[in-house]
Amino acid sequence: MDSTMAMYVAQSLNGLSYGMLLFLVASGLTLIFGMMGILNLAHASFFMLAAYFCHTFLKLTGNFWLALLLAPVVAGFFGILCERFLLRKVHAFGHIAELLITIGVSMVILEGVKTFWGTQPLLVATPPALAGFVLVGDLKYPIYRIFIIGLALVILGLMALVLYKTRLGMIVRAAVANADMVNVLGINVPLVFMLVFGAGTWLAGIAGVIITPILTVFPGMADQMGMDAFVVVVTGGFGSLIGAFIVSLALGELNSFGIQFIPKLAPVLMFSFMAIVLAFKPMGLFGERE
Amino acid sequence: MMNKTTKWILWIVILAVVISFPKIFGIYYTNVFVLFAIFALYSLTLNLLLGFTGLLSFGHALFFGGGAYATAIALTRIDGLPLLPAILIGGLTAAVFALITSPLLVRVSGTAFAMLTLAFGQLMYVFCLKFRDITGGEDGVGGFPIPPFHIPGVVSIDMTDPANFYYFALAVLGVSAWILWFFTKTPLGSVMVGIRDNAQRVDYLGFKVPHTKAIIFLISGGFAGIAGAIYALLQDLVSTDGVLTIGTSFMPIITTIVGGIGSFAGPIYGAAILIILDEIITTYTERVELVTGVVFILVIMYAPMGFAGFLGVIKQKWLSRSFARTKMEGAS
Amino acid sequence: MNILHTNGIYHDFKGLEVLFDVNLEVKEGERHAIIGPNGAGKTTLFNIITGTYCPSKGKVFYKEKDITTAKPHELVRLGMGRSFQITSTFSLLTPFQNIRLGILSKRGVRFSMFRKVDKMKAITEETDKILRRVNLYGERDIPASALSYGKNRSLEVGMAMATDPDLVTLDEPTAGMSRDETRNAVELIRRLTEGKTMVIIEHDMDVVFSLADRITVLARGEILAVGSPGEIRENQEVKDAYLGEMEV
Repeated sequence: MDSTMAMYVAQSLNGLSYGMLLFLVASGLTLIFGMMGILNLAHASFFMLAAYFCHTFLKLTGNFWLALLLAPVVAGFFGILCERFLLRKVHAFGHIAELLITIGVSMVILEGVKTFWGTQPLLVATPPALAGFVLVGDLKYPIYRIFIIGLALVILGLMALVLYKTRLGMIVRAAVANADMVNVLGINVPLVFMLVFGAGTWLAGIAGVIITPILTVFPGMADQMGMDAFVVVVTGGFGSLIGAFIVSLALGELNSFGIQFIPKLAPVLMFSFMAIVLAFKPMGLFGERE
Repeated sequence: MMNKTTKWILWIVILAVVISFPKIFGIYYTNVFVLFAIFALYSLTLNLLLGFTGLLSFGHALFFGGGAYATAIALTRIDGLPLLPAILIGGLTAAVFALITSPLLVRVSGTAFAMLTLAFGQLMYVFCLKFRDITGGEDGVGGFPIPPFHIPGVVSIDMTDPANFYYFALAVLGVSAWILWFFTKTPLGSVMVGIRDNAQRVDYLGFKVPHTKAIIFLISGGFAGIAGAIYALLQDLVSTDGVLTIGTSFMPIITTIVGGIGSFAGPIYGAAILIILDEIITTYTERVELVTGVVFILVIMYAPMGFAGFLGVIKQKWLSRSFARTKMEGAS
Repeated sequence: MNILHTNGIYHDFKGLEVLFDVNLEVKEGERHAIIGPNGAGKTTLFNIITGTYCPSKGKVFYKEKDITTAKPHELVRLGMGRSFQITSTFSLLTPFQNIRLGILSKRGVRFSMFRKVDKMKAITEETDKILRRVNLYGERDIPASALSYGKNRSLEVGMAMATDPDLVTLDEPTAGMSRDETRNAVELIRRLTEGKTMVIIEHDMDVVFSLADRITVLARGEILAVGSPGEIRENQEVKDAYLGEMEV
């Protein structure tokens, strides 16, 4: 393998790992949208919250695996609180009110994070077990990135299992396909909403934790990931998991190679892509309803 | 209803306070007042979309920032550019942005509209950040000359004097706000409200909904650009982080909701409340937006009609009480 | 003279065929009812005529002009007006403001932004005239959302008439009304459509037989019969199609 080839492999693996992370965040976002009709603008804030809690747990226990287990649960818990005590209260006021309240939540989380953890970037070391490189031909590739791809795949599998093999999953899929349906089926809708919201923010939390060793923990990380996740959900199709998956991976690669070849215009590509898709397919590429 | 005399007295009092403001409160608060007036006009333009047309824009900074950058760049590049044309360039540039984006924007509504405007706002942000030859990148455009208000042979007023600039800015912003108010009262304004309630029916009454929306964008964007132009003159500095971030797009949404989405003046109240809140909080903590965010959430939850709605309730109560009193007096 | 006719209309929704070779003819000046059992394709045909759908095959002509692909606002400008089955007034606006939008459109005041609409005397007068005709002058300035169901239906018809159309299309104007309300509505429609052409879809046979000059019966997406109320009443095929649904 020559060096150009190695570069291509490395970049596409980078793109894949970022795309997978992106999908973890976007899948929760799109499930929540499909189910409740809300585009949760605070979604990436829960992602960031988990990253900060991961830093704190690491400082307290020194155990990355414990942090990986706990921090997303904390993020999911905050998500549930947000759904139960804020979103549910304004549900009757309509979608605009729900959309707006998530802006409020994102502001409060951002400022809260700055208050408790400060504005300086925090560093999280790669867990020792995953430090180091694998050799693929000439290419030295970090083990941790491979781990990200692997873990994301495991979670993807779990999600598919829950969605397609359990009763809750069946309800969620039915609700995403047709929101009126759950009401007729005699299901405790508020409870299902709360669980979906909790699960969605938990998924974002997992992404928040596993991204920390390759990115610093800083207050702007929610905006960065949030933008990408919105683009995924919007262009993939509101409420479509398949669409979110495909666009996540595509965006991951676009990002990775965009930065490599046209660093100046990589973000422009992304937003232009979204604008064009929206203009011609307001429901997104794989979406069936607005 | 307020009777005519009280209304006149109220207007005269407001005018007197506005005129004497720089003398009473000094330079710092004079500039704060100009900032308030800028945000008020900017919020009014957003409410034209949100409150009157039923469209939630997440990218209004495109117009505000676009106007600010246009004026700043024009003043930097064109020697001896007079004041009013500089502001006009800001407004027109923003209107052109509205015109360019409108073919796509008129096709969608709801969440898709919000996301599309967000995309345009972000695109503008990235462009201004990357094309540093024109926009100065992260540093922005600053230190450009502030021309005097000059009518040949009649008058020439120095605009670097805060009090002079205060009167000038307020006049421009006030007239702009009045034009927007007038617009809501015109036939096109009534079509606009119809679109908010039921766009399909407007179509079935024989109006071209997309064209009507495009005109509304043009007006909303253009005046947001004028607000941005005044902002550029006030700060003598325009940067991406100052006028093009998502925060800049969210700000008028927050003022509009806090002030009251259902009335024309709501955004003005909202801008005033936010500026006052800002001034008070900064003396205690750096985390102003924490408080703003909490206030915003509380308003959505407990006072969805905002401050204007609150005023309405007070007025109603006062009216019904005085009504009851007259009735009692009549009975006795 | 036909004011409206369709040429071999076919329509399907994602493969589900609902209309087959429909040739509807509406003569100038008549009150024409389209009836048929549930699922006959009435509403689809109505939506094709009024520009909501474009047919899969076939053409629609209005005053000899091909309007198959015309948009709703273009149809209004050609002189068509429609009401909606599900009340579709501007709920936050008053009846006055609702009707006024129609008047503005009729007079071509569509993009005016240099005069206050309240100061336009002629518009106000004409709006009030229509409000009186539909018996809503008393409720002129309260939000439409606060009106009774029957009043809202009147407003609905009033808005269809406000643009002063030559052809009025009414989609179940008496749906959900009580007997008394229905009787009033029929009177109102009769009065308002004087000298105009009307196409109406209606379930209530009393309404159909008291209003219509001519009736087209649709069944399973095809035209079963066309004729005067008397002829339709006696038509055996029509009776069979309804299978006792209609007491004729």
